[in-house]
Amino acid sequence: MRMVLFAVETALKSLWHEKWINLLTVLSISIGLLIISAFAAITQNLDSVLKRWSRDFGLVVYLKDDLSSEAEDTLKAFFQNDSDIREIRYISKEQAIEDLRLTLGRQKSVLEGFDNNPLPSSFELTLKSELLNAAYVERKASEIKALNGVDDVQYGEKWLSSLSALANIMKVSAAFLGGAVFIAIAFITYSTIKIFFYRRKDEIETLKLLGATASFIRLPFLLEGLIIGVMAGVLSSIGLFSAYELIVSKVSEFLPSINIVMVPLTLKAYFPAPLAGALMSFLGSIVAVGKIKY
Amino acid sequence: MIQFINVSKSYDGDIVLKDVSFTIEKGEFAFLTGPSGVGKTTLLKLIYCAERADTGEIVVGGWDLKKIRQRTIPYLRRSVGVVFQDFRLLMNKSVFDNVALALRIHDMHPQEIKQYVGDVLREVKLKHKENILPEHLSGGEQQRVVIARAMVSKPTVILADEPTGNLDADTSKAIMGLFREINARGATVLIATHNDSLFHGMGRRVFYLKDAHIEKEVVE
Repeated sequence: MRMVLFAVETALKSLWHEKWINLLTVLSISIGLLIISAFAAITQNLDSVLKRWSRDFGLVVYLKDDLSSEAEDTLKAFFQNDSDIREIRYISKEQAIEDLRLTLGRQKSVLEGFDNNPLPSSFELTLKSELLNAAYVERKASEIKALNGVDDVQYGEKWLSSLSALANIMKVSAAFLGGAVFIAIAFITYSTIKIFFYRRKDEIETLKLLGATASFIRLPFLLEGLIIGVMAGVLSSIGLFSAYELIVSKVSEFLPSINIVMVPLTLKAYFPAPLAGALMSFLGSIVAVGKIKY
Repeated sequence: MIQFINVSKSYDGDIVLKDVSFTIEKGEFAFLTGPSGVGKTTLLKLIYCAERADTGEIVVGGWDLKKIRQRTIPYLRRSVGVVFQDFRLLMNKSVFDNVALALRIHDMHPQEIKQYVGDVLREVKLKHKENILPEHLSGGEQQRVVIARAMVSKPTVILADEPTGNLDADTSKAIMGLFREINARGATVLIATHNDSLFHGMGRRVFYLKDAHIEKEVVE
């Protein structure tokens, strides 16, 4: 325990003594972590938009004009038994034209030219949100389209596939970027600790000759790396918080729609950066110090 | 306490020590002498494992240095106090911290460290300079700090490499007085020096190193 306290004291003294190089290291790491955090926040927002949107996402199943009410009931029962479908809403021909009239408002007179109601009756199906990916929905739509009595199936396929693709690209990019930044963090800390290690080479040699164990020599350097990582992580979390607050409070003044896509970040979102910074810096320090040979 | 049996050491083909054998008993005060570059420092380094022998056996206080493992070396070194020729003081640490370092390595309580270091600095007459950086001390004072650091953890063996190298006669005498006190408390002392005035008339064993081997061993 005393050895740890002494190591902490030595590490803190060294951090202060080499404050400029340490500050530069902390800033470099925090920028890297901020980039990942920002990427993660954007991905999280996009995911949340997708989820919110998917709650209302539906397939519109247009029925053939001459379909009997028995056939419609059969289709309804079929949909009710499908465990992938969360909600079913039947819209009759009359309801459809009424809805269109309401939508058209003052322009509803355009409908007066029709002798018969041209709109088909339909089912609006809401799928379970966890199943909402472009490939699945496309398959489901063609299955339904093949059913007897179904004329056509429509859904926002372009939107869905674009958003899904964007979310996937963001996730893959975040993984690659995260990996690259993590390696960079370890390398930055490695370089800094290696410099300190060389600067204190004589001191280390003296410690070895006086009987210091490898852990006694190594621990202050590892703690130094760890503290650098935590400081950088905390700094990047503060940066993320500030940027987020700025966007929500200032940008929303002239771009109110930003609030639709911005979900508030929870406290949990601010922990990964210090943890990742600490872990990668610690690993970088371990490699930098290496094996102490006697 | 210190035993060399047919120890040889060479650097890149240059033989520094060849079949060196001698024994220094527990509590003995002995000298190792010979001209500069004869291998005195190398011989001392072999005792605290800063160098490893090519052949032969070395036993120090029960440690067989041929079999000693890397991770055990620190514990051997804690039982051997070394007064280095180049002092090896940490110039960014005060006199107190330099001496205390030897005890921090032993994981001693800070209160005990304060007491032990205070006592040993009083002994070497440097208590009043405990907060000063070594660069502000004279050569003789720096040497006394090194001796204080070597003796503070009460090692069983004290090795000194040219401890009076650049010091005047009076300071050298005072330094030798310190080694006699350390020896009187039971520590085995081995001093390597090319200055024969240090051991003349002391009645101690002196090992003469010449041409890579112990040429003679006499009591002077």
